[in-house]
Amino acid sequence: MPLGGTMACEKPLAVVTCTAPVNIAVIKYWGKRDEELILPINSSLSVTLHQDQLKTTTTAAISKDFTEDRVWLNGREEDVGQPRLQACLQEIRRLARKRRNAWDGDPPPSSLSCKVHVASVNNFPTAAGLASSAAGYACLAYTLARVYGVESDLSEVARRGSGSACRSLYGGFVEWQMGEQTDGKDSVARQVAPESHWPELRVLILVVSAEKKLTGSTVGMQASVKTSPLLRFRAESVVPARMAEMTRCIQERDFRGFAQLTMQDSNQFHATCLDTFPPISYLSPISWRIIHLVHRFNTHHGDTKVAYTFDAGPNAVIFTLEDTMADFVAAVRHTFPPGSNGDTFLKGLQVRPAPLPAELKAALAMEPTPGGIKYIIATQVGPGPQILDNPCTHLLGPDGLPKPAA
Amino acid sequence: MPLGGTMACEKPLAVVTCTAPVNIAVIKYWGKRDEELILPINSSLSVTLHQDQLKTTTTAAISKDFTEDRVWLNGREEDVGQPRLQACLQEIRRLARKRRNAWDGDPPPSSLSCKVHVASVNNFPTAAGLASSAAGYACLAYTLARVYGVESDLSEVARRGSGSACRSLYGGFVEWQMGEQTDGKDSVARQVAPESHWPELRVLILVVSAEKKLTGSTVGMQASVKTSPLLRFRAESVVPARMAEMTRCIQERDFRGFAQLTMQDSNQFHATCLDTFPPISYLSPISWRIIHLVHRFNTHHGDTKVAYTFDAGPNAVIFTLEDTMADFVAAVRHTFPPGSNGDTFLKGLQVRPAPLPAELKAALAMEPTPGGIKYIIATQVRPSTLWGFFSCQRGPPRLGPAPCPYRVSGRKPECLWLLCFIHLLSKEAAGHW
Repeated sequence: MPLGGTMACEKPLAVVTCTAPVNIAVIKYWGKRDEELILPINSSLSVTLHQDQLKTTTTAAISKDFTEDRVWLNGREEDVGQPRLQACLQEIRRLARKRRNAWDGDPPPSSLSCKVHVASVNNFPTAAGLASSAAGYACLAYTLARVYGVESDLSEVARRGSGSACRSLYGGFVEWQMGEQTDGKDSVARQVAPESHWPELRVLILVVSAEKKLTGSTVGMQASVKTSPLLRFRAESVVPARMAEMTRCIQERDFRGFAQLTMQDSNQFHATCLDTFPPISYLSPISWRIIHLVHRFNTHHGDTKVAYTFDAGPNAVIFTLEDTMADFVAAVRHTFPPGSNGDTFLKGLQVRPAPLPAELKAALAMEPTPGGIKYIIATQVGPGPQILDNPCTHLLGPDGLPKPAA
Repeated sequence: MPLGGTMACEKPLAVVTCTAPVNIAVIKYWGKRDEELILPINSSLSVTLHQDQLKTTTTAAISKDFTEDRVWLNGREEDVGQPRLQACLQEIRRLARKRRNAWDGDPPPSSLSCKVHVASVNNFPTAAGLASSAAGYACLAYTLARVYGVESDLSEVARRGSGSACRSLYGGFVEWQMGEQTDGKDSVARQVAPESHWPELRVLILVVSAEKKLTGSTVGMQASVKTSPLLRFRAESVVPARMAEMTRCIQERDFRGFAQLTMQDSNQFHATCLDTFPPISYLSPISWRIIHLVHRFNTHHGDTKVAYTFDAGPNAVIFTLEDTMADFVAAVRHTFPPGSNGDTFLKGLQVRPAPLPAELKAALAMEPTPGGIKYIIATQVRPSTLWGFFSCQRGPPRLGPAPCPYRVSGRKPECLWLLCFIHLLSKEAAGHW
């Protein structure tokens, strides 16, 4: 099929563009009880980040002129036969068929027999532990649902793409209930508290490295389920109580409790990775320096004012309150002096420059590691997926192909 | 008290010098259920290493002229009031009193009322995860027992100094049974298999760093017991089956099983450290490179031919069989090229130089990290007899052949006392590596 506008193409039947957020788990998901339906061995709980700083934008177009499904990610065409993509597409079409069969009005004509083109872009690095799968598949699910007119719960559609994607279907604080049924119908995400619930909460993403991680999550968690005795115990006997405790901390805005539990759960997740055989290590030496920095910062203040959490990669996600953010950023700049990008080191929300107090500097007692952190993204809790009404935002042109980069 | 010979000193009542081995746990001890009696939350199992390569040497002397107990470690005087030392001393004296009360012969006169001087040297770095506490306290227990004429089980004496020290009281393969009694009387070490049982087994210690570790074991394991949910589960539900499985692997000389379980238990111990709050990390970046090296080496050979284990520090202890040792040392040299000490890089047992096969080199696919490993000690499993020598002198300690072993009246010395020379402790160079 020739590229560009040389084809006599009809206007697509429907074009929808949506954005979806990244979410960061504070009670971690690691391990499946069903590989096909993507059902987890334990529940998980996350914080949805603000799309002003991190988001996936996805355009989906269906047209009777398209001869096959096609997908582009960050401008590059991907293999649409990839099982996760197929699972997503099949599930959304199944829901669309179900809806049409129940429809007593005038369904969109023959949308189900049409092929779909999907283009998606992230404004942050892919596969570097910055939760891009979650945002990407949540966006895909949400966008396809709009295109096909599906209104039911999208947890399963998103989940079939990437487990944690279902948590990106909501803003604020979200839990993914593991469910008990074997068909996974009760393995759904639901909002625990809205994004407006804790306005002082701030999130700093310390980007250590944008390189692809060594062991992918899917393979890694399979190995952990298979070989780690500690993981099974975690899932059965530790996480349930932690889910309840974390929910309480969020509802009561108990930052100390939230922070301690967040750090403990991050560490326990990484502990199960180390208990895997062969062992998996996602925490780099810089990750460990960040851990030590946080503990010393907290000890110095005599209170838990900052928390870290790490996913399957070396980047740190820091939680703190608005009144501590500037001081902690100063501590980070001191310990990890920026390289040549001093003025673009801090992205996202504005953080007022703060001097590092002498006593804190002494308490940290850490040799600076220049360039250890590539940059920081400062953000906060944010809303769930959004539909973009402006046609200029479409990533696909009227020919159904990605628009040239501006 | 003045040093050296300026004091008008009587001859010591008894002087004994012993050596004791290092042991490396393959099923790890981490966490106590009783801090005072040093009782562990789970059993552990170790391999005793050969003293030709690693040992502690301890001399204990008692004299009625000593006015206080004194202790020197690697030439430096230590605080004898330190609780662990006191616990050891008190326990050995308790056993000596018990023995004397049961004695129907002629006990050594007033040794119990005498103060003791102890000097101890390791020929390897202290507090760097090379199990020096274990060797040191085992030696102390053993030496004091000889000085005081105690013949009972020394597990408790050694344990009160440092838990894992009780495992250094035996050669070969040793378990420390956790015990169930609250008084700890059944928390004892016993030999699982003698050194002669598995003669092909080899041990390589990859010394990454001789620096003092960040979090000491005692404090670290207290934090783990207090804060790690995974540790409790490990102790109660994982270790018992692993102790049985490890025992089977050793008895059957199943190297593959032994190796896999050793690696898994090392990793799980470190996992519980990470699950501690604040988290503890003993594995350095070099430690992780060694882990990756071992896994790639094994994958290349399609079999588990090498195992790693790490204690509370970055140094790696590698287990392999004699027929693999040269190849693995070649792989280590390639991945961690020695610095300026190329010819003293490998200490201990001789290892024939072997070229690194090209396919293995390709399979390892690791960027060399020059100087990442400071040196290697190649050793093997330790013989079951503890070298020790014992003399009751009428003159100052001296170099040269000893008089025949001292005989406590009515009792023959144990066959362990067959060594034939005394040497001045100060002449024994610590750290001659």
